[in-house]
Amino acid sequence: MSGLVLKSISKTFGGTRAVDLVNLSFAEGQLTALLGPSGCGKTTLLRMVAGLEAPSGGVILLGDRNITDLPAHRRKFGMVFQSFALFPHLTVRDNVAYSLHISGVSRSEAADRAGKLLDLVQLSAFGDRRIGQLSGGQRQRVAIARALAQEPEVFLLDEPMSALDAKLREEMQVELRLLQQRLGITTIVVTHDQREAMTMADSIVVMSNGRVEQVGSPQDIYHKPQNAFVADFIGKANFFDGMTVPGGIRIGATHLVAEPRFIGRSLVRVAIRPERACLDEEPGANRLPAKITFVRDLGPIREYHLESALGRMVVEYAAGEGGKIFQVGDTTEVRLPPDALHIFPAPTAHEALAVAAE
Amino acid sequence: MTVAEHIETGPETARAAKPLSAVRLLSWALTAVIVTLCVVPFLLVFVISFGRKIEGAAWVWDFTLANYQRFFVGALWPDDVTFLYLQQLGFSFWYAVIASLLAVLTALPFTLLLSRLSRRAQAAWLVFILSSLSLSEVFIVMGWDILLSNNSGLPALFKSTGLTQWLKDTGWFQVLRDWGLASPRNVKFKTSQFATILTMSYLVWPYAVILLYPALSRLDRSQSEAARTMGAGGWCVARTVILPAIRLPLFGTTLLLFVFLLGTYVAVTVFAAPAQHSTAVAIYSNIRGANLNAPFGAAQAVILLMSAGVCLALGHRINTWAEAR
Repeated sequence: MSGLVLKSISKTFGGTRAVDLVNLSFAEGQLTALLGPSGCGKTTLLRMVAGLEAPSGGVILLGDRNITDLPAHRRKFGMVFQSFALFPHLTVRDNVAYSLHISGVSRSEAADRAGKLLDLVQLSAFGDRRIGQLSGGQRQRVAIARALAQEPEVFLLDEPMSALDAKLREEMQVELRLLQQRLGITTIVVTHDQREAMTMADSIVVMSNGRVEQVGSPQDIYHKPQNAFVADFIGKANFFDGMTVPGGIRIGATHLVAEPRFIGRSLVRVAIRPERACLDEEPGANRLPAKITFVRDLGPIREYHLESALGRMVVEYAAGEGGKIFQVGDTTEVRLPPDALHIFPAPTAHEALAVAAE
Repeated sequence: MTVAEHIETGPETARAAKPLSAVRLLSWALTAVIVTLCVVPFLLVFVISFGRKIEGAAWVWDFTLANYQRFFVGALWPDDVTFLYLQQLGFSFWYAVIASLLAVLTALPFTLLLSRLSRRAQAAWLVFILSSLSLSEVFIVMGWDILLSNNSGLPALFKSTGLTQWLKDTGWFQVLRDWGLASPRNVKFKTSQFATILTMSYLVWPYAVILLYPALSRLDRSQSEAARTMGAGGWCVARTVILPAIRLPLFGTTLLLFVFLLGTYVAVTVFAAPAQHSTAVAIYSNIRGANLNAPFGAAQAVILLMSAGVCLALGHRINTWAEAR
């Protein structure tokens, strides 16, 4: 194969459009994360790729082969479900060897391959156990080994970490990524956890309301968000609504120096990441008086909540950065570097309501 | 604990003991009721089965194995041997096994589809099926009796629509005759094993749906989907995922319906030929019918009950063995 391509894929349930004209290309051997809030259509999209849902419109291509109407059992894409969907009546080994058994592979060969896969996921000592005797993390590994047994061309994972606790989740994210890199298999992961997506993915697809908002590398998505939704959903950001004026943006009575690529007097939404705003004495544009209202020290990072002429905002420093330590009630100046400002068209009332509802 | 503490806590312990004895009394009373209602009638039947029939009169208490001997080898053994009553037991089993399997096998796909409908549709169907349970066996058999009767039921309809003639023309009529489902002139369902089993299976079909529904509605659909993504087609998913997941309820339902059907009386009386009547019919004719031989009827009842018990025990063993595998 040479990658998976989705062309104008859409899916409607009754009157609801769950997926809306999605065009995506999944490069061979890469891990792509479908990221978005609940109900944005990412799982529906994954299920259409797996063949578990029929698209209402559009085409799915695997290499140059049209697989849109190919049933799930003929696609044989390995899939890990949110609930893992392991078979409780089978042992761990038989679960892993399931696809081999039903495809007519001899028992000895199936057992041999299942053993190798259990080695791969470090569960070789658990082959004879029942699923009910495994922990959440072990179950997830069994589900991964089972999905890989048929040597699928595409590996799909639907929120595979959601059933795990926070610590185990972080460990499994790294393990899964290492495994995927070792096998070099085209992988699509559905998640609503941006940390998970940024840890594992070569490429992230941010989705909202059934549409693709942005596709890019984790760094691009974080540092160069293409719209306010992406800036808001990925990481944290301070938002201000304003209007473009010559040389910058006017927010209330404040003028910010910036380079908006909009015609004059356009309504815009300005975003700045908390770690890009500074509380320092260095000279520069966009210095505003501010008062510290709350300090949150999380160990690796320190957050300053402050009140400025633009309203409330948050400034964030990594441990050991930032020089002076401020206390609640201190007055200082906050600097918003022009190159750190992301300027987007102001959301329409309809979009604002949809975002608020999410 | 000091002596003083012991003296202080003593009356409290006595007070706590009072409600305990009341609970114990209630449990004894309940046990007595259950024993009276369930065990005593069975013990009576068991004891009567050793009684003796007085020819031309009623029966007397006794301790003879003659009734059991008659059941297994006939009354004239060892001079003559007859397996008439064993044959009747065989028919009981035959009807019950086939009818329960037929009911479960047809109820399974229906219930599986039912469990995938919307909640509203499921509720409507379940209410409909539950309400059908209120119909008595007599009422249902009467309906089937009319439907399958030779003069006014399906055979008459077949004849008037020309289906009978078509069957004759195509040669299928002879096949039906070989199966005992046609007279020289027309299709006939009465009397036949087909009609008996069909009616018996219809009798328990709602029970099959109600018993299978909880297990099927709790099935994790993602397991079937996982199997599909691993290359399993529809039948393979059913065989390797759905059936193992509901093996126990499926087995339990079949066994329950089988035991229930062992005692079917009305359907067998109406639809089965006299030579193919079951033990339940024979028991009735001995206890309340023409024979008035309560000890022999009781012996038949005990044997039927024991047979059902053996089947349940066997089923349990098979299930345990399958689970261990």
